[in-house]
Amino acid sequence: MNKRRKYIAWIFLAPSLILYLYFFVYPTIEAIRISFYKWSGFTVNMEFIGFKNFSKLISDDSFLAALKNTLLLLVIGGIGIFLLAFIFALLLGSGIKGKKLYRAVIFFPYIIAPVVHSIYWGLLVYNPRTGILNQLFNLLNIEILAKISFTDISHIFGSVLFVVIWVNVGFYLILLMAGIERIPPYLYEAARIEGATELQMFFKITLPLLREVLVIAIIFWGINAIKMFDLLYAFGGILPPRSLWTNAIYLYIVGFGKRDPIFQLGYASAIGVVTLLLVVIIAFIIRKLIRREIYEY
Amino acid sequence: MNIDYDFLKSKARERQYMRVNKFSFRKLIIHAILIIWCTSIGMLLYFMITSSFKTNKTVFKQLWALPEKLSIVNFAKAWSNLNFGRYTFNSVFVVIISVILIIVISAPASYALTRMKMRFAQPMTFFYLAGMGIPIQLLFIPLFKIMASLNLVNTLPGLIIVYTALSIPFTVFLLTGFFISIPSELEDAAFIDGCNEFQAFFKVMVPMATPGIVTAAIFNFIGLWNEYMLALVFITGNENKTLSLGLYSLYSSLQYTSDWVSIFAGSVLVIIPTAIIFIILSEKLISGITMGAIK
Repeated sequence: MNKRRKYIAWIFLAPSLILYLYFFVYPTIEAIRISFYKWSGFTVNMEFIGFKNFSKLISDDSFLAALKNTLLLLVIGGIGIFLLAFIFALLLGSGIKGKKLYRAVIFFPYIIAPVVHSIYWGLLVYNPRTGILNQLFNLLNIEILAKISFTDISHIFGSVLFVVIWVNVGFYLILLMAGIERIPPYLYEAARIEGATELQMFFKITLPLLREVLVIAIIFWGINAIKMFDLLYAFGGILPPRSLWTNAIYLYIVGFGKRDPIFQLGYASAIGVVTLLLVVIIAFIIRKLIRREIYEY
Repeated sequence: MNIDYDFLKSKARERQYMRVNKFSFRKLIIHAILIIWCTSIGMLLYFMITSSFKTNKTVFKQLWALPEKLSIVNFAKAWSNLNFGRYTFNSVFVVIISVILIIVISAPASYALTRMKMRFAQPMTFFYLAGMGIPIQLLFIPLFKIMASLNLVNTLPGLIIVYTALSIPFTVFLLTGFFISIPSELEDAAFIDGCNEFQAFFKVMVPMATPGIVTAAIFNFIGLWNEYMLALVFITGNENKTLSLGLYSLYSSLQYTSDWVSIFAGSVLVIIPTAIIFIILSEKLISGITMGAIK
């Protein structure tokens, strides 16, 4: 019976495994291989050049700028998202009315298409001529902010970063709230009786007991931040300015760049491989940082 | 240590009572903060919807105003002249078939990985989940080559295959979370009653895992409906564009056309299905994320 079961398990697994292997795992390996070649895609000939694509990356200013943006998005975006998600989780957990409604509304942007966010924020909010933000600051008489052009090359990345945080907070809020709600309330009561302050309770009870959820949430953010494409790419209109490029966008531009076809497929793959390494390193760091034992309760 | 729960409870009640009176000002502030944030979200809908009923001449001059009349001329134009009708059909077709396929292949896999005591279950699960960490852009070039060799570039079935294959890791991640939490007694009872594995799966496990399957389906629907990056790579012709890609193309050709209101009408078309799902199913979705992601 058990033997039969093990054999049947593979039947259950087969359809997904075949698709996954052929359309996901195989291309991943193939991409790593291509990254060691010089290849334009038009010819069958691929010239093996070893690590040359990678050494070229180190001296490529566009790549370094993209890498910097990727890391900024990951770190600053992550800090913003988790800080706000924690604040909202505590505000919503303070026993106010309408908790579920607030939570649902804060989550709402997450289900809207990134290209719609790009249009809304790019055209109707940030754009100094057509958007509402500068009007709003003028109205409020905040001159310093009213003067800023938020779609200017020097500000556009910060502007997008805010949108990324604004869109994603709701999702991480849900994860954190679920984690917090699982913490038994008697721990807080006991702490209160001992005279702990709200802040102490947050750092001594909530945060340690949330570790497991936090690891999942941060890793989830990490891999999604590094992959992020849709919102940033559409934000710049026809071709995003270089100040918006991340690894994901730069890879697309180098490999497929429609307006200015370059088709450096080996080089583009090398960008992808570096990005993959980044994911591995980050997952490793997060695990190391938040390792320690998980509290049983 | 013995904890006197009754004492704690009465103490807690007392404190809560005190709080209600003492800190109502604090609550006011909390509501104010939350309302400001939520207003910024409401504004997206307000500006998108009102702008989609205006004209190119007036839209930016009277951004805050309500439209003078509710004429659907922008929608009609987007739908027929700008091909959004076609795009909508493509999106509905591609996304629905993809979601069905994703579930049909991922649910049995998740069941096998969690419940069938197969050998290598753990490394296999890790192997599936590792796909979540792969930056999708890395796959563009080899996957394009594979699709080209199968003559599936710029076809809707090709896009369906790409969507299905690339959604497997996340879906398996969500579903294994659900399958693992189903008590094994039910399964054992099914086997004692003479069910084989397939019957046990379809008659016992699938109904038990329905909340998870619904969550995974909604999540994939929303994700794929909104997605335009893969469509941008694998759809090269105008007639096969999905709605999100169509909207992106219209937006990126903006500087030649200046047809703003069509863009807003298109945006509203993109928003409608996910917004409806959200209104009907948001609580299910939220509890599903919670159960699936946090085991």
